[in-house]
Amino acid sequence: MPEFELVTPATPDEAIATLRASAPGDVAVLAGGTDLAGDLDQGRVAPRRVLSLRRLPWRTLDWNGESLTIGSTLPLRTLELDADLARRLPGLYAAVRAVGSVTVRHRATIGGNLGRAAPASDLVPMLLALDAEVELLGPDGLRTITVDRLVRASRETALGPAELIRAVRIPEARPSAYLWQRVRPFHDISHMAVAVAFSPSRRSWRVAVAGFPPRPLLVPEAESALAGTRPDLVSVERAAEAVGRHAPIVADRRASEEYRRRLVRPLLRRAVAAAGGGGA
Amino acid sequence: MTAVPLRPDLALKLGGRAIYGIDFELPGMLYGALVPAPIAHGRLTSVDLSAARERPGVVAISADDVSGLTGGHTGDAERPLFARETVVYRHQPVAAVAAPTLAEARAAAASVRVVVEPLPVVSDLEAAFPEWPGSDAAASPRVAAHVHARRGDVDRAFRDAEKVVSETYRTGSVHQVALEPHASVAEVTGDRYTVHTTTQSPFGVREDVASLLGLPEESIVVDGTWVGGGFGGKGASFLEAYALLLARASGRPVRLALSYREEFLLGRTTLPAVVRFETGVTGGRIVARRVRLLLDVGTSLPGRDFATGYSIGFLLGPYTAPAFEVEGYAVRTNKPAFGPHRAPFAPQCAFMVESHLEHVAREVGRDPVAFRRDHLWREGMATPFGQTVGPFGLPSALDSAAELAARWRRDRPEGHGVGIGVGFWSTGTGAGGEARLRLSPETLTILQGEREIGSGSVLVGLAAVAERRSGLPRGRIRVEYADTAHAPYDAGVFGSRTVGALGRAVDDALVRLLATLAERGGATAPLSLAEEGGEIVVRGASGTTPVRALLTAEELAGGGLAAEGKHYGRSGSIDESLVLDGTFYPYTDFTGAAHVAEVDVDRETGSVRLVRYAAFQDVGTVIDGPAARAQVEGAVAMGLGAALTEEAIWSEDGRLLNAGLVDYRIPTITEVPPLDVTFVEGFLGAGPFGAKGLGEPPIIPVPAAVASAVRDATGAHVTELPLTPERVARALKPNEP
Repeated sequence: MPEFELVTPATPDEAIATLRASAPGDVAVLAGGTDLAGDLDQGRVAPRRVLSLRRLPWRTLDWNGESLTIGSTLPLRTLELDADLARRLPGLYAAVRAVGSVTVRHRATIGGNLGRAAPASDLVPMLLALDAEVELLGPDGLRTITVDRLVRASRETALGPAELIRAVRIPEARPSAYLWQRVRPFHDISHMAVAVAFSPSRRSWRVAVAGFPPRPLLVPEAESALAGTRPDLVSVERAAEAVGRHAPIVADRRASEEYRRRLVRPLLRRAVAAAGGGGA
Repeated sequence: MTAVPLRPDLALKLGGRAIYGIDFELPGMLYGALVPAPIAHGRLTSVDLSAARERPGVVAISADDVSGLTGGHTGDAERPLFARETVVYRHQPVAAVAAPTLAEARAAAASVRVVVEPLPVVSDLEAAFPEWPGSDAAASPRVAAHVHARRGDVDRAFRDAEKVVSETYRTGSVHQVALEPHASVAEVTGDRYTVHTTTQSPFGVREDVASLLGLPEESIVVDGTWVGGGFGGKGASFLEAYALLLARASGRPVRLALSYREEFLLGRTTLPAVVRFETGVTGGRIVARRVRLLLDVGTSLPGRDFATGYSIGFLLGPYTAPAFEVEGYAVRTNKPAFGPHRAPFAPQCAFMVESHLEHVAREVGRDPVAFRRDHLWREGMATPFGQTVGPFGLPSALDSAAELAARWRRDRPEGHGVGIGVGFWSTGTGAGGEARLRLSPETLTILQGEREIGSGSVLVGLAAVAERRSGLPRGRIRVEYADTAHAPYDAGVFGSRTVGALGRAVDDALVRLLATLAERGGATAPLSLAEEGGEIVVRGASGTTPVRALLTAEELAGGGLAAEGKHYGRSGSIDESLVLDGTFYPYTDFTGAAHVAEVDVDRETGSVRLVRYAAFQDVGTVIDGPAARAQVEGAVAMGLGAALTEEAIWSEDGRLLNAGLVDYRIPTITEVPPLDVTFVEGFLGAGPFGAKGLGEPPIIPVPAAVASAVRDATGAHVTELPLTPERVARALKPNEP
């Protein structure tokens, strides 16, 4: 691991000031470090400074009625163990549990997962389906954008050079599910994943697919196929077809395109059923 | 509940007092780094060390500094230590540096300018031989070794067979994944070369290093550190010669250790194979067999004949063959040298031959287990190569496995499958060993030259042999390690030989020691040792005598009564008249295993989940119950990796694409199912008290058993390892629900 200066600001303002004072590429932001540490170790990045967020007061979890705000540096394991998460947002609960192992989740954070924008992120597809919004703190104050706008491509976000993710807000509790396929069931990278959620307020489904580059994405064409709270098998079938037609599914060394396409139907059918939407 | 005695190394390891190679330090030591070849094949036109040498405190060496250093017996030691003129695999060492810190060493290594003009890369068997090699292929420069053997008129036997079943199988390469990477710390003082190293074979390293550096063995001391897992990957010398050369060049101790990424990039994996089977059947019985093997041996030089000639026997399996032909090619590719991996290539061979014979049985309408039974070797029969089969517990293990499988199949829920896999291995290699004992009034000390590598075979196994021979409780027996300058010779902790061969040396020494005591005490009948009143006593027909009373004053002052023992094993012979080309090898102890796996297969995604597992292991005699059980449990867990998830993936330009534990997936505890272990005793081997080796055999049937269960559950006949969900899904007919 190359040498670097570790900076641990005590306040958000200090953290932003440090980012402003550094040239891009000179500084890396460290939350849990479960992804960044690998890059540092392999020399894929060699920042002069590493800015640790560990002293910032962002390890928070707040339910406001049915809406949930998660501080960006909250360990995923704490989120997973929240008494209401599995009941109100079962899809998010499943997605959090899909990340790494228990040991990894004790360090990994939701902000780190979003900020690092790994193409195979298990959280991003579920946050997309939950219409999550992200609070960004920068030199000009706070702004809020959707996850869909934040995550642009593999390892690429809409974060400004001196911006930090402060929190993630999920607007409402939703029947939801997250299903993945991997070579090894635990502690592996999903090579195909489906996130679904039913919005009671909008009375419509959200469908996101993930596991292949460049990034997880929503498939609106599949959403419109899933009409009503309990779509039948025919509409699930149509939604799967829509995913196959509209999602840019490709091969990489983890899985072939053919196999990924083959997984869409069973994963979507099971996800809709798990989210309470009937089906098989 | 029976109390299991704690392993003697447990407190040291848990307390951080067992110093592994990766943690070993010497005062004032420098840190070394290897400079890797940037591409997999090319003409090496320049290695410029000047920028590295300008850095403060840095020494750098390349082929120019160590000219003519070739030789050695293992690994790729026939090759120069540093690439010269050509590079033949990516990351092949072209130079080495040492510097005051690891960061400085890495920076110095990165500053070495290496110029390689690219040559075409042959990355795999398909690239080497797009078509199956023809009759003139043995002379091809791509072929590193060729073996060929035949019995009877095979063509005619196939022509006359009622049915001939032909299949092609493929297997990939697996890595040992020892938790501790390779690491060596070297010091050179005058003409004494000392290396502290994590190894399965201190004496093997000494022999290699002497040959590589052109030094007499007496000038080299190999001190084995504690070993954080070997699994075959630490059986040969690796970093030791580089570390010693850097120590000599710098005049300081030098530590050279691999990062975990380098462990994958430079490590010696088993390498891929393509195998073609043809089996002729008449009246439900095999009448003719043909097995053809293409084995990717990378850039290996030594070992290639052995790998090809040895493994092809395991592709026939422990089954008869009235007429047969086997032909194997070791094929050069631009990959690193291959290396042993717990029963090297045998789990892959068992997967292929078991899956094939099960397929043949189904094709000719026979029950797969009954079909195997009809052709299985039994004690006293001849192998296809004409060797007489020794005591062999496999038929009995298979009977038990078949009975259990039938029961599991009756109980299984919808969608589950139950499969059987059989494995055969030759344990207790001919490689020899020696041990020294010393009996004081308080302790029986076993002095020997092997470090415990984690299996327990040294610290538990050798003590258990001594306990069984002498009757002395384990608490009074100490297994002591010494370096190659102070310990008697032993070949190494590999090949399932430690308890079998080194244990025999311990037993031999103990028998001599007991005879001396008997003579001194005037006893004629066999003696035993016991503990009484805080001292060791000798028990004979005429009563009990304290050891103290039988030792001379000199022995009492000098640490006790000494005895030496040794064991150099022998193996049988094969019918050489069958051999047309190359070398084939006889077996030593015939050791078998039969496993039963129950799986739950997701028919849509291809995911395989192990539900339960049972192993029936031919072991001769169990020397230590808990240690023996642990070997089987560990081997099954490791075998599940080879069966389901582990696979090194190489690009067309010779890059290892998954050099790390994220994408090279070993099983985690969540994938290991409830596991029953049953030992089949009484079919005695050449080890002490008839024990057979146990380190390797229990891994062999695992991929075969899992594949058989997947086929039972779904009908999917997968002919390639590992059985990833994608491969299983592809083998399932898509329209099946």
